[in-house]
Order: sequence, then C-alpha cells, then structure tokens
Amino acid sequence: MATSRSYTKGTVLLLVGTKRGLFLISSRDRQSWAVEEQTLKGTRVFNAVLDSRNGRRMFAADNGDFFGTFLRYSDDLGATWQEPEQGIQFPEDGPDMLKNIWLIEPGRDDDPRTVYAGVDPASLWVSTDGGGTWNVHEGLMNHPTRDRWAPGAGGLCLHSIVPDYSNPDRMWIGISAVGCMRTDDGGKTWVFANKNTRADFMPEKYPEYGQCIHRLIQHPTQPDVLYQQNHCGVYKSTNGGDDWIDIQGTLPSQFGFPIAVDPRHPETIFTIVEDMDRANFAGQFTIYRSEDAGGQWEHLTNGLPQGTGVRLGVLRHGMCTDSFDPCGVYVGTNTGQLFATADRGDSWQLIADFLPPIYSVNVSVLE
Amino acid sequence: MRTGNRHTVSVPARTIREVIDALERDYPGLRFNLCHETGELRPYVNVFLEREDVRYLQGLDTPVADGATVHIFHSVAGG
Repeated sequence: MATSRSYTKGTVLLLVGTKRGLFLISSRDRQSWAVEEQTLKGTRVFNAVLDSRNGRRMFAADNGDFFGTFLRYSDDLGATWQEPEQGIQFPEDGPDMLKNIWLIEPGRDDDPRTVYAGVDPASLWVSTDGGGTWNVHEGLMNHPTRDRWAPGAGGLCLHSIVPDYSNPDRMWIGISAVGCMRTDDGGKTWVFANKNTRADFMPEKYPEYGQCIHRLIQHPTQPDVLYQQNHCGVYKSTNGGDDWIDIQGTLPSQFGFPIAVDPRHPETIFTIVEDMDRANFAGQFTIYRSEDAGGQWEHLTNGLPQGTGVRLGVLRHGMCTDSFDPCGVYVGTNTGQLFATADRGDSWQLIADFLPPIYSVNVSVLE
Repeated sequence: MRTGNRHTVSVPARTIREVIDALERDYPGLRFNLCHETGELRPYVNVFLEREDVRYLQGLDTPVADGATVHIFHSVAGG
C-alpha cells in the first residue's frame, strides 16, 4: 500500500502502468522529476488514468497473474484502492472469461459520471455512476460478426475508446484484430470503419474487418479527424472513419504502436515505428513528429539513446501528451525507460530508468 | 483480504465445488479470485485436498470428507 501523499496544485503527475505495479512520477516544472510511489505492487497494470471530472478518482487495470483481473479505483491518489461494487466480470457459467483490462477511458466532459473500459475478450464496459458499477455494453457484445473476430498477438483486446466530444451518439473503438468500429446511435449499432486500411496478413488486403489497429485517437478540435497507428501503416481520416488516408509517408516502417497529438497544435502528431525485431532502427531510439498532420515526418533524436545495444520498443499506450504549450510528450518503453520532452519533442530527457516493462503512460495536471 | 486476513476458515461442503460455493457465500467475491466466470479454476490457482492436487483427482467434483483440509495456493510462477 502506498503512503498517502499530497501534491500541490499544478503538479504534473504521470501514471505509469508497468508489469510490476503502478508508478506515480511527478514534477512541478517538467524538468525535474521524482518517482513518488509504487502502488498496486507486483501486478500487471496495463492502464491507469486520473479522472478529474469527479474530484481525483484514479482508475487502474489490475491484471493479476493469479487471482483475477480487476478494475480498481482510488480517491486518494493511489494510497488505497477499492473494488467497484459491481466490477468487470462476465456472467457466471457463461461462455466468456475476463482476461485483461486494456483501457479505462473517462467519458465526455459534459457527462462526468460515465466511464468506459475496454477489455479482452473484446468488449466495451460502461459505468454511469463514476466507476462504482460496471456493465457490459450489449450492443457491441451482440455484434453479428463477433464469432468471427480473431485476436492479435496480445489478445482480442478492445484497446481504444474515443467518445466523440462533439456528438453524444457517436463513438469509435479500436479492437485488435478487428479494426476500427463506430456507432452513430449511442451504441445501439456498430459499423466497421476500416476502408482503405490494410491487413497484409490476410488474403484480402483491404477487408471490411480484421485489421490490427494498434491505437486510435481523435483530433481535439476537428471531430471528424481521426488518427490511427496500425500493424500495417499509419492513417488519418477526415470523415469520421468513413475512409482512411495512408500517412506513413517517409516513416521507415509501417509497424508501430502509439500515436499522440499535440492538443494545442493539433496538426502536430507523434508516433513511434519499429523494425522487424520490434525495436528502434539502427541503434537510435527515435520518436517521429509530423507538424502537418502526416504530410512530412521528422526524426526526433535529441537526448534519446543511441548505440549498438539500444533496442527499445514502446507499446500502444506507452506515449501521451500533456496540455501545456509547448506540449510535453511522455514515452515509456517496454524495457522500463521513461522519456519526456517539454518542448514538443525538440529535446528529450530520460526521467526514469530501471522500471519494470512499461505498458502505459498517462499524464494529469493536478488542479 | 476477503476473509479478513484469516488464513483458515471452515465451511460445510461435500465437494470442492461446494467448498468454493460456500466460500463465496461467506466471503463474496472470492469465487472470482479462484475461478473464471466460465466455472473452471484459474490456471495459477492450485487446490489441494490434503496433499493431493484436485486437478489429478476429480477436479471441482472431487468429494470432500467431513473434517478434511483443503488448501488453496497460488502456483509457483515468476518472471
């Protein structure tokens, strides 16, 4: 159990989910960082998020190795954790068993009691009371193609949830390896939104579904604009997912996991792509930035490690941006290094090392 | 934690399955710690009837005599 700790207003707090617990890392100036806490020790924390819409409720995906997977919440910044009154569990004696919780996503700002979770086996879970009780979203669970959904290497995971901030009836989700899906009627029905995204591992390269989408995000001011990092490329949509534009361009690989946007300059996007061995190219850990929404890509390396033995990878939730201007970007590797920039990627520093393999990084500025 | 940190509890049961049912009644939520929703034991949960792993007996249908001791461990696993 972590010790109770108070943070001053304006503290930048990173929630770093790892193979061996959740780390809280803080800074007052985005230059000096301190590893404050390790909580939920020993458990695989795939994802953690601070929901500031209702005080400071922190959610974490506690994917235990032995005694089950649980969504937990804390109202004291990780000092103590609670189980929901009705958590994420499939019906007893049914055909489904919970494997892992991949994502907890707070709902829209004007709907502060709604929280979403994505799990493996791919399903969307919803709480409408701030996280106390959870129910599976039946509309997606009963999709007519569900019995033909196939998993990616990490499982059949619903890993991206994008509630449209401009339209309460519209939402997108990303499932590996099913692709992007969209609802336009509040979840009653779901359609596939994969047109022009490739599935090179299937006989038909542009199927209706079956793509291995890795991460899906929405433009912060143009609601019809989406970006996705995919097993087979990097894509942008300008029409809400009706179709996609290949923006891989000069990136050295089609394969990568994370993608993030600068919320103050939303034509600036960050991504990380990998070589065939699922690590950085040519001994140089590189983060890639486009300042024209995918037209051109820069290689960001200032302050990032280089050397024969540098073989770093970043998982789909391992990168995030803060809301400052210039924005900060935070990148956690699957070998336990945590990098940060406070100048939109022009320069980077290693702010934590020797952590367990990092699954996710989320950032909050404490109010 | 669900048993109030008691390491030993007593329940009436005739099979391992009934042991788990009884534990769930007395300590709600414990079944999910031990079993998947589909009913089978979690792969890293080991249940011993005295010194025998029930996986090599009749599984959850293994009969349990009055006064028997059932041990529940997480299996050795690391990394």
